[in-house]
Amino acid sequence: MENFSEVLSIFLSVDNFVAIAVGVLVGVVVGAIPGLTATMAVALALPFTFSMEPVTAILLLIGIYKGGMYGGSITAILIRTPGSPASACTLLDGYPLAQQGHAKKALKTALYSSCVADVISNISLIFFAGYLAKIALNFGPPEYFWLICFSLTIIISVSGDSVVKGLIAAGLGIIVSTIGLDAVYGSQRLTFDSYNLMDRVSFVPLLIGLFAIPEIIEFYTSKVGPQIRSAVSGASLTLAECKRCLKSVIRGSLIGVIIGAIPGTGATAAAFISYSEAKRKSPNKHNFGKGEIEGVAAAEAGNNGVAGATLIPLLSLGIPGDVITAIILGAFMIHGLTPGPVLFQENLSLVYALFCGILLSSVVLLLVGNAAIRYFSLIADIPKAILLPIVLMFCVYGAYAVNNSTFDIGLMLLFGLLGFVFNRTGIVAAPFLIGFILGPMFEDNLRRTLLISKGDPSVFFRGPIAWFFIALTVASLLFAVHRYWKNRLVDVPAQ
Amino acid sequence: MKTKEVNRSECHGRIKPDLILGMCLVVLASIFIFYLVPQYITEPQMVKNPMLSPRFLPLVTGWVVLLLSVIVLLEGIRRPPKQNSVENVHAKVPRLRWVLMLAAGLVYSLLLEELGAIASGVIATAMLFIAHGLRQVRIYLLALVFPVVVSLLFVHVLNVPLPVGMIWE
Amino acid sequence: MKRLMVKLAGAVTFAAATAVLPVSLAAAAEWPSDTVKLIVPYSPGGTTDIISRKVADLLKDELGNVIVENRPGAGSTVGTGQLARGGRGADHSILMASPGHAIGAAIYSGLRYAPVNDFRFIRNVITIPNVMVVPADSPYNSVAEFIDGARGGELTFSSPGVGSSVHMSAELFKNLTDTNMVHVPFRGSGEALPALLGGDVDVAFENMPTVLPHIKSGKLKALAVTTTKRSPFLPDVPTVAEVGIDYGLGGYKTSAWFGLIAHKSMPDEAVSKLRDAMTKIMGRESFTSFLPQIGAEPGEEDGEVFRDFVAEEVTKWAEVAQHANIKN
Repeated sequence: MENFSEVLSIFLSVDNFVAIAVGVLVGVVVGAIPGLTATMAVALALPFTFSMEPVTAILLLIGIYKGGMYGGSITAILIRTPGSPASACTLLDGYPLAQQGHAKKALKTALYSSCVADVISNISLIFFAGYLAKIALNFGPPEYFWLICFSLTIIISVSGDSVVKGLIAAGLGIIVSTIGLDAVYGSQRLTFDSYNLMDRVSFVPLLIGLFAIPEIIEFYTSKVGPQIRSAVSGASLTLAECKRCLKSVIRGSLIGVIIGAIPGTGATAAAFISYSEAKRKSPNKHNFGKGEIEGVAAAEAGNNGVAGATLIPLLSLGIPGDVITAIILGAFMIHGLTPGPVLFQENLSLVYALFCGILLSSVVLLLVGNAAIRYFSLIADIPKAILLPIVLMFCVYGAYAVNNSTFDIGLMLLFGLLGFVFNRTGIVAAPFLIGFILGPMFEDNLRRTLLISKGDPSVFFRGPIAWFFIALTVASLLFAVHRYWKNRLVDVPAQ
Repeated sequence: MKTKEVNRSECHGRIKPDLILGMCLVVLASIFIFYLVPQYITEPQMVKNPMLSPRFLPLVTGWVVLLLSVIVLLEGIRRPPKQNSVENVHAKVPRLRWVLMLAAGLVYSLLLEELGAIASGVIATAMLFIAHGLRQVRIYLLALVFPVVVSLLFVHVLNVPLPVGMIWE
Repeated sequence: MKRLMVKLAGAVTFAAATAVLPVSLAAAAEWPSDTVKLIVPYSPGGTTDIISRKVADLLKDELGNVIVENRPGAGSTVGTGQLARGGRGADHSILMASPGHAIGAAIYSGLRYAPVNDFRFIRNVITIPNVMVVPADSPYNSVAEFIDGARGGELTFSSPGVGSSVHMSAELFKNLTDTNMVHVPFRGSGEALPALLGGDVDVAFENMPTVLPHIKSGKLKALAVTTTKRSPFLPDVPTVAEVGIDYGLGGYKTSAWFGLIAHKSMPDEAVSKLRDAMTKIMGRESFTSFLPQIGAEPGEEDGEVFRDFVAEEVTKWAEVAQHANIKN
């Protein structure tokens, strides 16, 4: 009980509340600027936290992280500019919804499912951290390899009308991802001796280029379509719709929690797996990709389910699962704290104060997000002739800011062209992104497994986790084949 | 994705888009497999396992893409096209519009460092406004105000450096 | 339309002409006469970035405004290349160099600068030792046992990436002891650590702050530290050179270091002013209390000693890279 009062004494300070509120707000705003990502916002805020109390500093960063994730979805829905690779999944249905005049509905769906997922994720962090961390430690290269194999099967379900074309897009994404220095031998791959390509293609120019720029090109090369307008961008979410999405949201959150607890896989895989599961199970599966709120809900749930869970390996093992948690780890160290089992022994009250703050941040996100929707959904009503040039300007500045390099602007425009060609030839861009993100993980873990195997391939099948993901992969492929044949049978008489 | 459904009879007898796409992809994939990979991915002298080679993933992916492209090509021949590749849309759009868009892209990609973020932002945004024939002067004020405000926000509030421009100093 | 293109072409030539003009108007009357720019050749949020931002923060009291600019890419060679090119503002730019400066010079071909001769060396600010660690259930309890094991079979070591100081430290160890370990590269320490904790790899020469908590909690065994002196954080752990002398490791010395360098044209007055400022800062409590938080010790090499230190690093890693056949 005395611990409890200590927790409260650490947590209940004005600074903490201000930090969470400011953090979430800054995160939402910065995340909603095309080209600026949650990662960047957290990195740039880090130096400001040097002089703060440790709990305040970390809560500020976590607030920015969560706000930034949601902010990235706002632009994904409104102007097809995802703020993170994960929110590229949100735009699959979010952007069509906004184009049909339901911007507000899409934004609300995204917000509510984010917050629900966030709470589920936080609760798992608080109660199951130790257990999930143990699973995470059992993930060696072979287990990752199979997990990535399973994740790759989602390409099939986000391929749109043509699975063949979707697979081609994924293949192209994998090829682009191999540009850079080879991870094992350090030799150059397809860099054409350019320094700019040695560190692989950065994902911000690719992301903006692939999704936002084609819309702009499309607008300037086709006749003006009617602007769909409605009072403050459409109606809000109805209770029935919330209920319809609930299952997908909870499933997505749990997927997010598991993926988040395993370091190094990331929110993108979680969002897409959640999306494809929702699509598979939903009665409205044919509406997915055309503006289905359940799609938005599933994507956001997967995406945000990861947020709290990435703190599991960070806090309990001291292992950062992605760039953002690596920065947060930096913040811990700056304040003389080392995350890991020792933290729970020596600074338990501090850890619990942190948990209180993290729980509060979900509530703050709900409030800030709701207020933000009111203003941001107005963007959907700005005529495109005025909006798009300004969006382009943001994109250019953002792409430049990633590496302070004009090369990335050129790259962004190039991917824009590619995305435009994709649009015109009926190729979906999402598999390209999945290939780009998962391709290197696939290759890395395949090679690591071979390297640690010392020539013995049985290491690929070494334990229950590996077998579990092998089973999932096989099941997922079988299901896809089954559905393909079923669709063929339905299609043929129709023609 | 946005693809325009067109009456099937309308595109009957015309060039089949999937056929062209398939052919382009087959050519590109072949160039990749037979020229780019051997030329630009060096294979270390001793690789214990072929799967460890830096060429492994690119080559496997390249072959898969080639195979799938052939499928696209064959389907393009076999099936009547469902979708029209909106080729002649360009003709209906004023040429000035997409030329100005291209020019704006060039300003951003080639002149950002020379002109600076603000100037190139103003020029490109104004060009795009012209491209769509916006007439009101107030709107062009936006083209002036936005780049200035956003650059200042990036540089001073967010601490993200943007180029100031070489010709102004 | 034509007119527009002509105008554009005009703008291009004008811009190109002005870009090559050497602009060094800032007189060196009272340095600094302008904002000092600290270039970080890595992305925001990494160790180099955190250290740089702390140093920039402290330098503000001595030099007025100091801004940090991240120029990541190709190891650290993009940012460093940019400093080496000089030009406008070069006399007010400093860069936080790290082992990547020397290793990058060894493994990146076609570098357009000389890692030592193109720069002035202010001083080494921070040194972080690497630690040779094995999983808790590893059969090896000392460096000697480990070497015997490595000579007998094929062992593996992890690193956060090709050309990192962690990777190169292991390669140097391989060279000197004539063992054959297999490199298992990861992307960043965050990915490398679970494989080490789970026993999927046999050893790593990781940075002190990354593994220290796991050594303390007993999940990893520290066999040795890679510096020539024992670390105050692990006083009971010997140095590699100390215990490996019979195995040819007597000269073994690696560490992660973070030091300030500047363009070769920086005037003497500015360099000495920077050195004075750094000496003052490094004596301050806010600096000394920062060090243990990141598992670091103050860098000792000052002035020309620092230059020689970097030169030595460059030769050392060039040899190791050649031996390990890492070159592109």
